[in-house]
Amino acid sequence: MAITYDVVRQVARDLYGWSLKKVPDDTLAALADARARETNPTSQRTLDFMQAAARAAEREDRHACSDAGFPTYFVKMGTRLTLDGDIRRAFVDGFADLVATIQPPILKFITHPLTLERSYEGKDMPIVSFDVADGADYMEITCSPKALGSGRWADLKVFSYPTLADIEAYVMECVMEAGSQHCPPVVIGIGIGGSFDNAAKLAKMSTLRRIGTKHADPMVSDMEDRLLAAVNKTGFGPMGTGGDTTALAVHVDYSHGHGFVPVAVCFNCWINRRTTARIHGNGRVERVE
Amino acid sequence: MSEPHTIRRLTLPLSRDEARSLTLGETVMLDGEVTMTAGFPTHQRIAKALDEGGELPLPMANGAFFHMGSSCRQEGGRWVTNYVNPTTSTRFDDYMPGIVRRLGLTATGGKGGMGRACVEALRDVGCVYFSMPGGASPLLSIGAVERLQTGWDDLIEQFRLSRFRLDGFGPVTVAIDAHGNSMYEVLQDGAAARMPQILEELEQARRESAARLAAAKRG
Repeated sequence: MAITYDVVRQVARDLYGWSLKKVPDDTLAALADARARETNPTSQRTLDFMQAAARAAEREDRHACSDAGFPTYFVKMGTRLTLDGDIRRAFVDGFADLVATIQPPILKFITHPLTLERSYEGKDMPIVSFDVADGADYMEITCSPKALGSGRWADLKVFSYPTLADIEAYVMECVMEAGSQHCPPVVIGIGIGGSFDNAAKLAKMSTLRRIGTKHADPMVSDMEDRLLAAVNKTGFGPMGTGGDTTALAVHVDYSHGHGFVPVAVCFNCWINRRTTARIHGNGRVERVE
Repeated sequence: MSEPHTIRRLTLPLSRDEARSLTLGETVMLDGEVTMTAGFPTHQRIAKALDEGGELPLPMANGAFFHMGSSCRQEGGRWVTNYVNPTTSTRFDDYMPGIVRRLGLTATGGKGGMGRACVEALRDVGCVYFSMPGGASPLLSIGAVERLQTGWDDLIEQFRLSRFRLDGFGPVTVAIDAHGNSMYEVLQDGAAARMPQILEELEQARRESAARLAAAKRG
């Protein structure tokens, strides 16, 4: 049996819709933990309101954030799969289906970068990247909508032979630049090494990692721990009006490269929109989250 | 940053005295009427109209003007709210000082704060900036009851000037007061002052990590 255009189109539509209306469970748990630790009364109230709003979004089938942004999809194709139909087009059409059917409707957010004209569609929309999973007989798709609120603060700098201190100081510069503005508490993704494009992708993928998981390499997980502590000492707090929790997590990943070391830093706002589904080789669709 | 035990409930537009009575960090709920937009081109148009002595499509003088997007549906001849949500205010930093001064606004708001020139304009006219929770649309939208009027309808929905009636909108936080104080500046300055210490603690943690990893390697 093959995975068909029709199934991928439907899953592309559903994933974007689900991601707009549910804050992931790991993120809700992290917000609850942050609330338990928070000492600033205004921030306690803000964290209460955030959690209540997130629960209301899921319960009432409403958008957590009214800015639906645009969908980015990460696709992992099992090498044992057979495909039937145009898979890239299935994402374009699934996105169009969602726009046509979702209630309440989404607004025009797709922006031409040169004219700033707005639409429901555009060149290379939605953003889809493909990877392979050796030996797997499923296709795993993650959808992560992105909007200006947190998207705008991503940054990338290319170092040559940096020290860990150089890299971490740069991350803190990015945190200071974003300040109160990226809808904190955020998830921070940091990609180090490889090529320019690879570091950016690693950073983005790192924001999608579940909160509470550790990088397998203890050198990297130590870095994550100390950077999280450092970010939360800045005091920007929930919604940037002061408090103990500016980040829910810092996730780092790296690739080997050459002496030049690109370091990419990106942010996901507190609703941390992310959904994943697997389409199995027999056509069965499993919502992973 | 005082933290009152009760949440004040205020009606927009605020009087100049009410605006000046609000303190940094205070949380309030809002009733009354507000004009909102999420549009950059809308701010350009407002600034142009004010510069050239042109008319604005909605009355905005001495009123409340929020950086918010909105979506509505028609029900029984009224425009009922689907959702509202604040947008990043610093995007409009080039235009807001002039808009605040020329219109004599008493309240503005959005998320993430505004720059120094805006803070000074707010102080000079007696206007506050409210921070609203982003991403909390299902609850925040409850207080934005209906849309009363729109202007510049050639723009997309969230970019139009939209006048809303509020009833129990919030909670919102006074993040820039009418006396030249900005919570964002206080926080940014505080973080900058602590940064040498934060970087030193990172250095210490790196040393500890390196020692731990070396010990583990030695087994």
